Amino acid sequence: MNSVSSTPPEDRSYLLRWFLRGAAASLSVPGFVLVATFVGFGGLLHDINFPIGAGLLSTVLIWALPAQVILVGGVAAGASLPSLAIAICLSGVRLMPMVVSLMPLMQGKRPRFLSELICAHFVAVTMWVEGFRLLPKVEPAGRPAFTIGLGTGLIGLSVAGTALGFYLTHTLPGPLAVALLLLTPISFAILLVRNSKEPVDWLAIVFGAVLSPLVVDSAGGLDLFWSGVGGGTLAFLVARYGLRKRS
Amino acid sequence: MSLFQSELGAMLIVIFVGFLPNEIWRVIGVLFGRGLDENSVLMQWVRAVATALLAAVVARLLLIPTGGLVALPLWLRLTAVGAGVGGFLAIRRSVLAGVLTAEAVLVLGSWWLGVA
Repeated sequence: MNSVSSTPPEDRSYLLRWFLRGAAASLSVPGFVLVATFVGFGGLLHDINFPIGAGLLSTVLIWALPAQVILVGGVAAGASLPSLAIAICLSGVRLMPMVVSLMPLMQGKRPRFLSELICAHFVAVTMWVEGFRLLPKVEPAGRPAFTIGLGTGLIGLSVAGTALGFYLTHTLPGPLAVALLLLTPISFAILLVRNSKEPVDWLAIVFGAVLSPLVVDSAGGLDLFWSGVGGGTLAFLVARYGLRKRS
Repeated sequence: MSLFQSELGAMLIVIFVGFLPNEIWRVIGVLFGRGLDENSVLMQWVRAVATALLAAVVARLLLIPTGGLVALPLWLRLTAVGAGVGGFLAIRRSVLAGVLTAEAVLVLGSWWLGVA
């Protein structure tokens, strides 16, 4: 692995240039939609009395809004921590195929493990969509720097959005404050519909949503576990065996 | 009172209950990415669980809200989300259009009802 100090100065300014171009590219329509949803997340944090420092840390480290909402919502509802860890682990699976499919574009010709790990951390839905749109136009040698710039820009904007939402909610007039709180569920509902292609996806949405209020008082704070694992397994079985038999 | 109400306790929860279980998939994507079959039966099950989990989160936020949304009647919360999904489907499958539709319905509804 090349150490940074052995990189010639002109190389460093080359990488810096691509890093800054990446950061500038985060100021886009998808970037602003993302910020808006993090403003909603900040409002949620304030609403359930979650400490702001830990909330901001979750945006930087977890960097996946569904997992963050499961975490803070679950903690506020008194869910048990191991069941929350399992729920978050299951919700994070969708990141893996995103990393796999985007990695060749992010790394250029000479993949380096550390650089791959850093680039992978930035992968979430927005990064994935924007990466496929922007990276093909970037010179291969500049792609890791561009990716890190874009990811840093998106996370930076989202951290600002989280803080804004946290401190804004209680200063806004009533209808706007509730509008902020609706941002998280509405954007998730739309993303669910957008990503649904096959019967199993629709079944999973219906079973998960219907089970959720039914199991809300389940023992040990396991309600998300039951509605997620139970609803998802049911949807998987019905789609795989139930629908096939009838057709 | 409980662990999450102290800043440090909440940060530890974020790291150990949130960050690590989530980040492992990004690391696995880097380590074993090329060998994994996205369409294997196991991955199909896992994706169904992830989808149901997200739907359950949305349902709980809407049906059993904790804070400010409590002030709004259930039908208005559901109508706003329904309008948002409808707006998304009707207007070029644009996420922004869907979000704005839902928010417009919610703000107008709560203003008209005089709640919140």
